[in-house]
Amino acid sequence: MNDKYATATTALDIQKVDSFYGELQVLRKASLKLHEGEVVALFGPNGHGKSTLLKVISGIHPAVSGSIKYMGAEIAKTSSQKIVELGIAYIPEARNLFPDMTVLENLRLGAYNRRARGMVGENLEYVFALFPHLEERKDQIAITLSGGESRMLAVSRGLMSGASLLLIDEPSIGLSPITKKTVFGAIEKIKNETDITVLIVEQEVDNALKLAERVYLLKRGQVFLEKVADEISKAEIEKAYF
Amino acid sequence: MALGLTIIYGVIHVFNFGHGIVAVLGGYFTWLFLTKIGLGLIPSVIIALVIMFFFGLVLFKSTINPLLRTPNWEFSTIIFLLGMGILLENLTLQAFGPRVKNIPTFFEGSLKLGFVRINWHEISLIVIVLIFIVLLNILLKRTWFGQAMRAVAQDMDGAKIVGIDIEKVFGQAFAFATAVTGFSGILLGTKYYMTPHIGWTWMFMGFLIVVLGGLGSATGAVYAAFIMGITEAFVTLYLGSMWVWPIWFVIFVIILLLRPQGLAGGRTL
Repeated sequence: MNDKYATATTALDIQKVDSFYGELQVLRKASLKLHEGEVVALFGPNGHGKSTLLKVISGIHPAVSGSIKYMGAEIAKTSSQKIVELGIAYIPEARNLFPDMTVLENLRLGAYNRRARGMVGENLEYVFALFPHLEERKDQIAITLSGGESRMLAVSRGLMSGASLLLIDEPSIGLSPITKKTVFGAIEKIKNETDITVLIVEQEVDNALKLAERVYLLKRGQVFLEKVADEISKAEIEKAYF
Repeated sequence: MALGLTIIYGVIHVFNFGHGIVAVLGGYFTWLFLTKIGLGLIPSVIIALVIMFFFGLVLFKSTINPLLRTPNWEFSTIIFLLGMGILLENLTLQAFGPRVKNIPTFFEGSLKLGFVRINWHEISLIVIVLIFIVLLNILLKRTWFGQAMRAVAQDMDGAKIVGIDIEKVFGQAFAFATAVTGFSGILLGTKYYMTPHIGWTWMFMGFLIVVLGGLGSATGAVYAAFIMGITEAFVTLYLGSMWVWPIWFVIFVIILLLRPQGLAGGRTL
């Protein structure tokens, strides 16, 4: 297992990132590394900085200090639209869909960045193959979608950007067991069929642990544990929450 | 007029009190090129609109954009635009003087249909506005620029996530709306007279239409403008034109009591 990582290229390298909300420090020297093509899960209790870390990587929330390297290039101070162009897609927990647009319009906007505009057709095809259900609903207005459907749309919109790194925030939150299965099934397909790197942030351990190759634990703004997924159990992770 | 207000409100969520004078400027520039420099109608309109677009862009970049980064930006932007409007109004007064101006009508003569007579000019105005609405719709729904404006209007964080440069879209939307408003001023300038102060009356009309239609909704603005136009025609015919404004406000109050969100309220661009 470790040999594999010795040869794999580093996709994302986060070193000692600090970030604040006003006076409140949310990330304290958080460090983490992703290898190209792997699926990594980041667990941790609520309100300890998991989502903030994703926002910092995608340039939506500023990092005060520390370094974030993507494919070798420093991106800690890069604007969010540039980061999307570089191939990092953030899929927020709140989904942030465009409520009065159709499913198709939402998807097309996912390909807004210059690099993705030429690939709208093939990316649409891939996304619809992943979620055939969305194709049936493609002319429906986003606000009328169910929770599961909007989650699928959010993931798809992220894929439309032609990303090579997906940052998925709490994909299972608020979903029924069946839709959870659909969403994680799709992430598994992404893992098997493409070389996209995936970082999943979750509070709920089950699904993400099954899928992930490696696991990080984040608590009080610090990454304090890194393990190969097979070497840690759900109980151990949940114990670390408290 | 109302559509320009709607675009700005829909995208930036700020009500533009400097709106009236922007329309007047569009009209005055066209008048200037048309009668003083002697260009044809269409070149005059095009040059005026290009000037309005860049005027809007420069105004946004130099003043509003920095304001947007300050805390409480909604309030300071509204007050700033109001002040800017008064300043521009008085600059226009200094530059062009207080005398009434108008832009010649596009067509002479009128169409006779039984009892009614409609000026060809009025018909051409309706056609122009209809074409304009269709084009605006195509722009909003079919181009990356239009979709980016809608995206920013509907979910600003979502827009950032898909890689839209919010400040750039704000600036372009503002410039675009300035040109649209200037265009409305040109049309109004052919139908009514123009003075540097007429902008407030126009803006008030635009304001009524926008609120009636539902803030930020382009379709609502079109419905509302239609209702107000019909009302104006009937009231002028049966009661006299001094009753137009009071009756507009009665309708305004009644509709807002029944539908506080406006006719098509709650929907965005």
